[in-house]
Amino acid sequence: MMSSRACRRRATAWLCLLLLGVGMAAAAALQPSRGIAVLYPEIGEPYRSVFARIIQGIEEQARGPVTSIAIGASPNSQDVANELRRKDARVVIALGRNGLKMAASLERGMGVVVGGVVAVAEADARNFTVSSLAPDPALLFTRLRGLIPTVKRVLVVYDPAQNDWMIRLARQAAGARGIELVTYEASDLKTALLHYQTIVATMESGRDALWLPLDSTTVHEVAVLPLVLQEAWKRNLAVFSSNVAHVRRGALFSLYPNNLEVGRNLADYALGYLAATAPPRGMMPLKAVQLAVNVRTAAHLGIDTAGKQAGFDLVFPEQ
Amino acid sequence: MSDSWAIALILLWDAAVDGGCGAKDIPGEGGRVHWRMTALALGGAVACSCASAQPLAEDEDLALIYGDKSTFSLATGSKQSLRRAPAIATVITAEDIRAMGATDLDEVLESVPGLHVSRASVRFASLHFMRGIVGGGQSTPQVLFLQNGIPVTTLFNGDKGVDWVGVPVDNVARIEVIRGPGSALYGADAYAGVINVVTKSAAEAPGTVAGLGAGSFGSWSAWTQHGGTLGPLEVAAYLRVGGTDGFKKTIEADAQTRNDRLFGTAASLAPGATNLGYETIDASVNLAAGNWRAHAGYRQRDNMQTYTGVSSALEPYSGGRVEHFVGDVAWNDPQFATHWGLGATAAYTAYSFVYPGNLMLLPPGATLPGGTFPAGMIGGPNQWERQLRLSVNAAYSGFAGHSLRFGLGHDDLDLYRTKTYKNYRLSAAGAPIPTGPVIDYSEIQPFIRPQLRKLNYFFVQDEWNFAQDWALTAGLRHDRYSDFGNTTNPRLALVWDAALDLTAKLLYGQAFRAPSFNEQYGINPVANGNPSLLPETIRTLEAAVTWQARKDLQLNLGVFLYRMADLIRLVSNTAPAPGSTFQNTGVQRGRGLELEADWDAGRSLRLSGHYAFQRSLDASTGQDVGYAPRHRVYARADWRFASGWLVGGQLNRVTDRRRPAGDARASIADYTTLDLSLRSERGKGRWEFAASIRNLFAADVREPSLAPGLTLPNDLPLAPRSFYLQAIFTP
Repeated sequence: MMSSRACRRRATAWLCLLLLGVGMAAAAALQPSRGIAVLYPEIGEPYRSVFARIIQGIEEQARGPVTSIAIGASPNSQDVANELRRKDARVVIALGRNGLKMAASLERGMGVVVGGVVAVAEADARNFTVSSLAPDPALLFTRLRGLIPTVKRVLVVYDPAQNDWMIRLARQAAGARGIELVTYEASDLKTALLHYQTIVATMESGRDALWLPLDSTTVHEVAVLPLVLQEAWKRNLAVFSSNVAHVRRGALFSLYPNNLEVGRNLADYALGYLAATAPPRGMMPLKAVQLAVNVRTAAHLGIDTAGKQAGFDLVFPEQ
Repeated sequence: MSDSWAIALILLWDAAVDGGCGAKDIPGEGGRVHWRMTALALGGAVACSCASAQPLAEDEDLALIYGDKSTFSLATGSKQSLRRAPAIATVITAEDIRAMGATDLDEVLESVPGLHVSRASVRFASLHFMRGIVGGGQSTPQVLFLQNGIPVTTLFNGDKGVDWVGVPVDNVARIEVIRGPGSALYGADAYAGVINVVTKSAAEAPGTVAGLGAGSFGSWSAWTQHGGTLGPLEVAAYLRVGGTDGFKKTIEADAQTRNDRLFGTAASLAPGATNLGYETIDASVNLAAGNWRAHAGYRQRDNMQTYTGVSSALEPYSGGRVEHFVGDVAWNDPQFATHWGLGATAAYTAYSFVYPGNLMLLPPGATLPGGTFPAGMIGGPNQWERQLRLSVNAAYSGFAGHSLRFGLGHDDLDLYRTKTYKNYRLSAAGAPIPTGPVIDYSEIQPFIRPQLRKLNYFFVQDEWNFAQDWALTAGLRHDRYSDFGNTTNPRLALVWDAALDLTAKLLYGQAFRAPSFNEQYGINPVANGNPSLLPETIRTLEAAVTWQARKDLQLNLGVFLYRMADLIRLVSNTAPAPGSTFQNTGVQRGRGLELEADWDAGRSLRLSGHYAFQRSLDASTGQDVGYAPRHRVYARADWRFASGWLVGGQLNRVTDRRRPAGDARASIADYTTLDLSLRSERGKGRWEFAASIRNLFAADVREPSLAPGLTLPNDLPLAPRSFYLQAIFTP
């Protein structure tokens, strides 16, 4: 019995290795579509899957595999440039900060589309088409209205160095929806805290909502968030955020990336370069979004989500 | 309010001073307040202002979007699949599993509060002791196992099946564990708890990954996983093959040792080593398009050895083969019409368990009162099952403050074929009489004949938000079985969102366990089936509090009381009739608590753990029901190195396991195990590596053998120290 067992095991192992070998050879044999290359950061799980999903979306939209090059912390830019030339890449989709850094070091003349980042330096924004992971305020306000139809004002504290571009978009989006956007600038946390103190004291339940943007200066996880959420709970005030983790902690809702769709959009930009209809340069907000809602907070605010949960991609609390 | 803001400002100032980040123009306060706030600031405030001054690390953008990795795991996964109802639940994500360094489902489940994974003497089958509900220490059909929401319950034994051993976790997106009764939604066997294993969708496993692993006891595995699209279809596929020789631990004495003593023979292979080898195939395909979902999962365990033997007598000869297919197609339109959502599911499962070379019950030379078995006492119970489950459900939200769910379904549960091979017949008293060579006894004296059970059911549930921060959920399910009749099980849950960071729940539920076909129709004079059996029932009262004590610290406390009735047990037949028959008899009462803590002690360090206590008594004897630990402590630390390595450690202490009534042995020894894992998060190129050591200090870990301990007096030894290495390749 044991010898047949060992024999069977060896046969299965060889079969398995054969399967893996065939699979990998098949993967290697697939010739990437010419023209588009993706530079993506060499990063571990769980975040690796974000970039894998974005690349999947790119390949779907490009209707074929693309050249994908992993960029480590200290890559050799000459090697990457050579590889891009060898693959006849004419447009590069740079994902993440490592991808962006590498793309910035490449020779001019190659189209560059940047994705998988929240924001970039002004110089990079001038040179490249940048698709941000920060959700479009127009979509945020639409969702807000959907949940709280009575809302009239949105208040936000932001650091101009990080979110000037986003607030410009927000003003347009708010105006188009008849919402008054009240903004407070803060370039340090102390100022931000003072603003929040004023805001929370003057907000009116049902009429006002506080927006927490992706801003490492003004949305402090320890000093700001707990107090804002606590005060909002006590006074039945709506807080929504551009960070999905805040929904888990008690914010009403957030929008977060649909990474497959993000990849498709990036591919569209890249295909535009190839078709000589280059997309505009500069920062563009995230439009491919999913919705996370805290139904506990919603119930506390008197929002009936029973018939709306079908449209929620993620619901908190988990139980 | 002003106090809070002042504290925040002081905290900020302290953080700034500690972190050297400027903003020192805020006047601080000295003395106690300053110290208190400094302590608070250590929680992580330091990082923030500094972060913007330095180049962002690659993962910081994603951290800004998704927050912690646990939220990330949920946000990049598919929608939650557990039908929402208030309960005491644990959700373990793929990210948690990675951090744990686990390679086997049961390693993961041991981390759940109130759940202890013990082992059976037969095939080393896992026993899921939930809150002291131990199923007599032999199998645990009181826990309902689901795969992608579909019950995998097998009909002969009523539990999850023999194939659930060495279940890999590479392809697991999420494990959802509900403690407490769930029959009001899930029907039969959601009694002590429900465990739902959700496999990865295309979104959760994008691209192609392949892995190879090898470790102690000749264990090895090779797997590949792919997630992508095929036209309008999202496809996720997984294939894994593997095997193990199993660990070798000495069994000092077994059932045949006792026979040898009684009949003057020397047939026992004890003292001798356990036999635990098997080969595995695990495969799954998940498809999604629009409102449609389909899952197909296949699991095979071949040449499956019997550990200490099916009759508690060591034997290295037998190799069973089990195959289990679980598939379903579901359509769900949550916005079918105004206020209405609608869904339907069709599920099919097929299960077979055979011994191609027959099963050695007692080793060659064994002698019993009926005679001697020169070639060993051999049996061959083979079974084939198929189950069809159809259901529709609807949700209605047209009444303000109410969320209604309805559903109905029909199940065909069919043990459609059985085969019995053996070299003996049973006398009327249940004594085996040798009959020469192994022959087909399927018509002469089968272990069971084919059986068919049909089930129709409906359920209704309403979640009513009757006041701000108060919700009452009431649910009820009625099941009509073709064989043992009807059962109706309600559930009530009162939930109070007392504050932003504090939720309290009070839960009451009734549940039932359907008698297995073996208990109803088994043909064995020493364990006769009883077609008149009724389900086992349980009533449970639970209270739970969830407190987000700080941004990075969550505490959960749950307490419970339960009363089980109509327990299905073997009862000796009234003299002079020999043997025993399954009967509904007895009551079991239990109580306990579970305290959990989860602390993100820093961006790179996470600490979590729990303490669980339970005390379960058999009402007829007033004694502990035995087997399960009264106390268990579990602690885990996951530490991410800046260099991209993840180190994990977990400690598991199992204490105070009493013997049940009639077992005179001393209480089984407590044990503590320590496991370590190391995983590269940014491997060299496209390779990722993982290593784990389990039971680092080689503790003598034993799980209790069946009372009264005459057959395996020294209990069941578990694995000594073991290693496992994995290399994962992303093409």
